[in-house]
Amino acid sequence: MAAEYKRSFRMYSAWNYMQEVEDLNKLSDEGWQLVRGGCFHSKFVKNPDIRYRYQMDYQKIDDMARYIEIFREQGWEYVNSTFNGWHYLKKLYDPALPDEAYEIFTDRESLREMTGRWTRFATILGVLFGIMAIIEAFRVITAPNIPRFIQLFTFIIESGLLLRGAFIMRRTEPGQKLRHDSLILGIFFACIFIGAASNIILDDMRPNLNTQQQADEVFEPIIENRWVDFDVKYPDNYYLDLMIKADEPLTFEIVNEADEVVYTETGTDVDKKDIRIKLRRGSYGFRMSVNSGFELACSID
Amino acid sequence: MKKSEPMSESYYYILLCLAKGANHGYGIMQMTEKLSRGDVTIGSGTMYGATSNMMKKGWIKEIMSTEGAERRRLYQLTDTGRKALRAEINRLRRMLENAEEV
Repeated sequence: MAAEYKRSFRMYSAWNYMQEVEDLNKLSDEGWQLVRGGCFHSKFVKNPDIRYRYQMDYQKIDDMARYIEIFREQGWEYVNSTFNGWHYLKKLYDPALPDEAYEIFTDRESLREMTGRWTRFATILGVLFGIMAIIEAFRVITAPNIPRFIQLFTFIIESGLLLRGAFIMRRTEPGQKLRHDSLILGIFFACIFIGAASNIILDDMRPNLNTQQQADEVFEPIIENRWVDFDVKYPDNYYLDLMIKADEPLTFEIVNEADEVVYTETGTDVDKKDIRIKLRRGSYGFRMSVNSGFELACSID
Repeated sequence: MKKSEPMSESYYYILLCLAKGANHGYGIMQMTEKLSRGDVTIGSGTMYGATSNMMKKGWIKEIMSTEGAERRRLYQLTDTGRKALRAEINRLRRMLENAEEV
């Protein structure tokens, strides 16, 4: 008969790894034996005739052969490792043996060393997200727009959850488990996803327009209507950089579909950066009128 | 001279088990349980971490056993390791003497 497999997509946070170990043990008692453990999904094979007890370890192993040998000596079988440094181990269950026979860290120092490695990793990552949140906060203060707000919000949540995880992991006591942790993990991954999506999609939907015009001499007044068109796909703050150099005052305008002026600037020497303009969804254009030699450069994002 | 840090129980027993000659991981584990009359056990994770760290410190080194058909890793105490063990024993002895004085 062909072997029967099943997959589990349940995720566990690192600081809740003991819950994962307990669930693996329970599944083994129910006849589902772990074939491959993973961060995002695990694979099990049906075998009701044996029972295993599992353990997890987190480290970069220098000498895999030695690692496997040391575990084998005490009846442990190495199952597999995940890409991010977690290792799954199993040992045949013998009801006659005491619970301690299924521990792999038997003193406080070595357990601390293991959890400390993850704590360090999460702290560094949490601080990094924190720094990015601060940078994003400055950008939001100086030039707020929706993608930046979303980025800031996700960076704060990500940083907070990582540092919270590091804190919990550092205080982990043997046998401690956390309930209802899936929600936290879901929020964390949702933030990663939303942050990336806002970066890719919302940023990409902005006009990102860069254009210039110039004339050395003008014999009759120039009125350029809608020499460039651009679409605004969602209402937000948009930022205009404008440079005007002209002998006689030049008028620059942004007009909407109904030819209503939403922004205007007149001058002979203008150099402004990051002018905040609130724009609604729709199509817009640039308009310019001048009756002398000029140079004009503008960009909107 | 820098005061040496107290050793963890596992480090101490591993070094103690190697004092009379090289041994493999399982041998160290069994000897530790026998010596401590079951009080101290060394799990595999603890054993791997402790031996890795002590090899980095140069307290023990890995050799391959030549007897028998199966090649096995043996751990051997180095001179530095012996010194560290002796220092720890002296520290423990002083602490015991202090307790007796009180």
